[in-house]
Amino acid sequence: MQRVIHAGLNRNPYPIEEDAYARLETYLAESAAALADDPDRDEILLDLEQAVADQCRRRQPPQASVITLQELLPALEEIGPVRAPSADQVGSKENTDAPTRVSLQQISQGAWVSGVCLGLARHLRVEVTLLRVIAAALLFFTGGAALLLYGVLMLLMPFAPLDPQLAPARKLPAKLREWTEALRGKLASVAR
Amino acid sequence: MTRENNLSAMKKGLLEFVVLKVVGTGQLYAADILGRLDGTEFATQEGTLYPLLSKLRREGFVHYEWQESSLGPPRKYYRLTPEGRGHLDTLDLYWKTIDRTLAELGR
Repeated sequence: MQRVIHAGLNRNPYPIEEDAYARLETYLAESAAALADDPDRDEILLDLEQAVADQCRRRQPPQASVITLQELLPALEEIGPVRAPSADQVGSKENTDAPTRVSLQQISQGAWVSGVCLGLARHLRVEVTLLRVIAAALLFFTGGAALLLYGVLMLLMPFAPLDPQLAPARKLPAKLREWTEALRGKLASVAR
Repeated sequence: MTRENNLSAMKKGLLEFVVLKVVGTGQLYAADILGRLDGTEFATQEGTLYPLLSKLRREGFVHYEWQESSLGPPRKYYRLTPEGRGHLDTLDLYWKTIDRTLAELGR
């Protein structure tokens, strides 16, 4: 019997068998390494995740919902290894001009709750999944008291401007953004 | 090294030109672009195309819009920017010049 894991591909959950998951993880890690110098690495990785999801879906027998190696291997074969385009003046110039660290903001687009973890991940240049796992663990071990910390961060971290090139924020992050901004407005008027 | 290697280096160098040409035909998403190239000398894969599209976007030659899709999440549809159109015209002209030069140099 195979264990089934829920993989987040381009931020959507897909059930996938354990051995297929391991293979996919290797592929994505190799892709990330190949794109190490690419300023759009994270975006390209999401595109690739979506391509994997699409290709596997297309290969699945009707009614099947779990991705297995049977779909994944030919899918990865078709997508092919990541090859970075040769660097040129424009790209490399942008590279050197890019700030080494972006400011700490919460990011509504792609967020699960309000985008605190996503913003922290971008700032610290670590995987957002890692921070989400830490956040969930904190929440669990503090018996919910970590929610308070999240709330404080939500209130303090400025929101990243919405990017029309990205998919719009989900319902909850959009709502929380609205509330937080309204609350900040109130606090500011009280302070005055 | 071998003859085949030389040919593939030439194709690789032309891929950017070819992708701009394909994107120039309308609003396309990645699978459309791959489909157009499939069966030609320039057939390529997502693993090559995505980083290339991303680079062309940084250079301001293409841009994309999200569009809803009936199956699955929204997709990115790519289009040439006016700057990309200008770049493609330049490349087209250059290609014709090279072609003429090659013809003049003899056979």
